[in-house]
Amino acid sequence: MAKPVDVVTSAEGEVFDVELEVNILRENERLAEENKRRLESKGVHAVDVMGSVGSGKTSLIKSMISQLKKDLRIAVIEGDVTTTIDSDIISSEGVPTVQVNTGKECHLDANLIRKALDRIPLDRLDLIFIENVGNLICPAEFPLGSDRRLVVISVTEGPYMVVKHPMMFLDANVVAINKIDVAAAMGIDPNKLSADVARLNPRAASVHTSCRNGIGVNEVIEKLGLKNR
Amino acid sequence: MHEFAIATSLVEALHELVKEQSASKVLEVHLRVGKLRVLSIDQLKFSYEILSKGTALEGSVLDVEETPGYARCTNCHYAEKLETDDLSFHFILPQMTCPKCGTKLVLEGGDECLITRVRIIAPSASPTAPTNGLV
Repeated sequence: MAKPVDVVTSAEGEVFDVELEVNILRENERLAEENKRRLESKGVHAVDVMGSVGSGKTSLIKSMISQLKKDLRIAVIEGDVTTTIDSDIISSEGVPTVQVNTGKECHLDANLIRKALDRIPLDRLDLIFIENVGNLICPAEFPLGSDRRLVVISVTEGPYMVVKHPMMFLDANVVAINKIDVAAAMGIDPNKLSADVARLNPRAASVHTSCRNGIGVNEVIEKLGLKNR
Repeated sequence: MHEFAIATSLVEALHELVKEQSASKVLEVHLRVGKLRVLSIDQLKFSYEILSKGTALEGSVLDVEETPGYARCTNCHYAEKLETDDLSFHFILPQMTCPKCGTKLVLEGGDECLITRVRIIAPSASPTAPTNGLV
């Protein structure tokens, strides 16, 4: 539609400035607020699960679901660049799962979540886990409308995951330091990672977990406030 | 990579403006971005250039003004501009205390991401041309 303009002449039009104050991130924030209100009106809680690639987000969600599903009606939104591997894993717990493939984007955004919520029976739910794309940087910039945030890192990623990605931890409610069963083999002190979290965000609870043998899963559930509801 | 997503939102907002103003071309776009957003301006400009190709935005100049955040004391009204390019200072933000009275400091600003001014070419028949009587 836009016609090519090579030379600017007065006949063609006048040049003028439009002063404005448009917030570029506003659209995502507005949609996130909308998602939040929609979930609140249905009495559904949502946990945004963020963390690095391979830190164990899916395993931790699966472990939490197996503990919670007898008391709560749960659904999962799985975000990945491609494949349905994660939603297939989660589906084995017998809960409704929606896979969101972002294609080229490195994070979920509020618009994708809005569309995913259309495909979930909100009236018959208590809790939604939203697994973000594995990434410790971009998801911090894009609120989704969840009412709590869980960040998952693991000892296999080395000793500097927290200090190198401070943004991700500033708004976290709970930080899970996963795979502690192999901490010694990796030469990592998980307490040091916890101390880094505490210095960065004193309000966040950090929990040492191992999904392989169920360590800490209950504590994550408790700290997220998902017990006895 | 969020630079690309932000550039996408920027381009969408500008296309809306172009339509609204019936503009034939955009010449300049001015943004105000807070330093605490930690955006790479080079990446943002690069993404913008790619996304604007073949549209009324093509060839326009993207100018970004970076603004600092302020740390403010809620007790004694001490305030300080956060003038640093050292990103690791995020690490100390949650524990910064007022050098005067020791109260925890709160952050203000520095996270905005706004389009502030756009220079466009619009049709010369201005809809706001002065009239000779009251409407």
